[in-house]
Amino acid sequence: MTAQFVLMQLFNGLILGSLYVLLALGLSIIFGMLGIINFAHGAFFMLGAYVAYTITTYLVPNFWIALALVPVLMAVFGAACEMLFLRRLYTLSPLYIMLFTFGLMLALQDVVRIIFGSMGVPFPTPDSLSGAVNLGFMYYPKYRLFLIIVTVAISVGVWMFLSKTRLGALIRAGTDNPRMVDALGINISRIITLVVGLGTGLAGVAGVLAAPIQNVRPLMGMDFLIDCFVVVVIGGMGSIGGSILGGLIVGEVIALGVMVWPPMANTLIYFFMAVFLLIRPRGLFGREAFHD
Amino acid sequence: MQRRSSCTSKAALLLALCTVVAWLAGAEAEPVKIAVLTDMSGPYAGITATNVEAAKMAIDDFGGKLLGEPIEYIHRDHQCKPDVANQKSKELYEKEKVDVIFDVPNSAAGLAVSNQAKLHKKLFFSIGSGTTRHSGPDCNRYTFDWAYNDYMLATAVGLWAADNLGKKWFTITADYAWGHDLLKHFSATKKKKGGKLLGNEMVALGASDFSPYILKAMQANPEALVLLNAGKDGINATKQAAEFGLKKKAKIVHALLFIDDCKAAGPEVFADDYVTGAWYWKSDNPGSKEFVEKWQKKFNRPPNWMNAATYSAVTQYLKAVERAGSKDAPAVIKALEGHKFSDLLANPGYIRPEDHMQVGKAYILRAKRPEEIKEPWDYFEIVGSIPPEEAYQDPKDTGCKMDDF
Repeated sequence: MTAQFVLMQLFNGLILGSLYVLLALGLSIIFGMLGIINFAHGAFFMLGAYVAYTITTYLVPNFWIALALVPVLMAVFGAACEMLFLRRLYTLSPLYIMLFTFGLMLALQDVVRIIFGSMGVPFPTPDSLSGAVNLGFMYYPKYRLFLIIVTVAISVGVWMFLSKTRLGALIRAGTDNPRMVDALGINISRIITLVVGLGTGLAGVAGVLAAPIQNVRPLMGMDFLIDCFVVVVIGGMGSIGGSILGGLIVGEVIALGVMVWPPMANTLIYFFMAVFLLIRPRGLFGREAFHD
Repeated sequence: MQRRSSCTSKAALLLALCTVVAWLAGAEAEPVKIAVLTDMSGPYAGITATNVEAAKMAIDDFGGKLLGEPIEYIHRDHQCKPDVANQKSKELYEKEKVDVIFDVPNSAAGLAVSNQAKLHKKLFFSIGSGTTRHSGPDCNRYTFDWAYNDYMLATAVGLWAADNLGKKWFTITADYAWGHDLLKHFSATKKKKGGKLLGNEMVALGASDFSPYILKAMQANPEALVLLNAGKDGINATKQAAEFGLKKKAKIVHALLFIDDCKAAGPEVFADDYVTGAWYWKSDNPGSKEFVEKWQKKFNRPPNWMNAATYSAVTQYLKAVERAGSKDAPAVIKALEGHKFSDLLANPGYIRPEDHMQVGKAYILRAKRPEEIKEPWDYFEIVGSIPPEEAYQDPKDTGCKMDDF
């Protein structure tokens, strides 16, 4: 096992981690606001990939346009879901919202299956990003490097938005104490719609970005969703920094696991999570309040 | 207690008498009833759900009538689950009184149905499941294994790759019974041909990222990367191998690849890869063109080789009943054992009496590059074939001890 190989694997873990980060970010901000795990998040991710496929195949054969359009469309879709359905469930036990998102996931998967078939659809890497570049110590696919850059940009963007803007401050306030925000004369329900839209848009971006390196098929979100739960739990429920760090940690654990003991690579993250929770039950940056 | 047991024995006697009378009166007049039990909503549904149509087409083309009665036909979905397959096959044999069940993908499900067939003394044609146990340690008189098995998938393409692609291989194996089985047969072929296995990676089913394994394979610098997985795992692994530039240095060999996979992933993903197939829709076997034409007209796409295998199995069953002059299981089985035939799937085909394996030539398919594809769905080119004696295990070595009726 050469140093170069270890370095390559670490790099690989970073890429895998990037996809987790994008998905976990959305999952995490929705969790922060509503206090529920959104089971439909994997389906939103899948839908993002399929919307991108539809755009590039039937409208304009341009990956960049799809990458710009899909998050917007998905955000509108997410916001619509919130306004039409989720909103009616807030007064009930959180279990109902969870069940609803679970049902939504199944429904979306089946609708996509009916329209596009269960075998999946092709999605090539955009021409300008196919091929590899020499990084000095190795050749690495351009597209994967692009993935890291986009992830960094989006993560920084989301973080800046939440910590530096007025709207971000309102969202954070709403996460801490929605009633107080409401009492101060701010329309909290509009903020919730915005947050769900934002989270769904992030899942959509992740879907478009994953499409060229994954098999685009109705169940593609399922594999990622479970791993993302691990990311969110390790990172700490509802924490942006936690999602980013957690995503990268999980990516690296899988990549390094492959070097040491391949059959265990995928199980290792659950083992890691269990040990991690024993030491730090609220995750890396999870706030105490969520566990009361 | 005494009284009740005499009662049951009387009832049993009456029942037996009734059966004999019914048999004498109506055995000849009872129609043949055929069932297809397949995956219509589970993971393999994209490939196997249409087998239901293939069987129907085979019955229609046969004339729809047998022994003077119209052929009855039903189908059931086992969602690819062994427990559901077990339950549904029991119902089919007992309640629906079918004479034969076809298909049943998923090896555990197939073995469960094979067991039910033996219990009910009715026929079962295994098509979708690839386990060698059907014609090996778990063989029985009522089960026939049609068109392919894992040994043939791994061996045929392995023999061909050793002669044409090079002898330094690296394998990536799906970490469950099917993958392990393929690896075993593939390793045996490698040994026979003096090849060298540079490394093997066991990968959990449904892994989302294959790039770490691809990198390991590239480090070993093989002449052929062998993917002993299928479906979306195969697509993901191939996509990512191309991304890292592995395809520039080595060829990729698949254990299982359908035209449906090529359609799903896009032809550029699999360009110049190799795989074993029992049939391809451009085959010129007798009846193949007619079958493809009819299928194209109905579904606006060509059939995959599972469809052709189902059509062939149903047709050969119906012909065997005709030869036997009865749908009585032992008579039909005797008509099938050792039978030689030529049809769309196998030209010639042979049903080995020793282990009930239907054998024929194994085709080596090369996936075409996008610019070579002139017709929709024409994703493969037949580049060679392996004779049945080499593609299938010698019946002496399969471990099958055929039982009596």
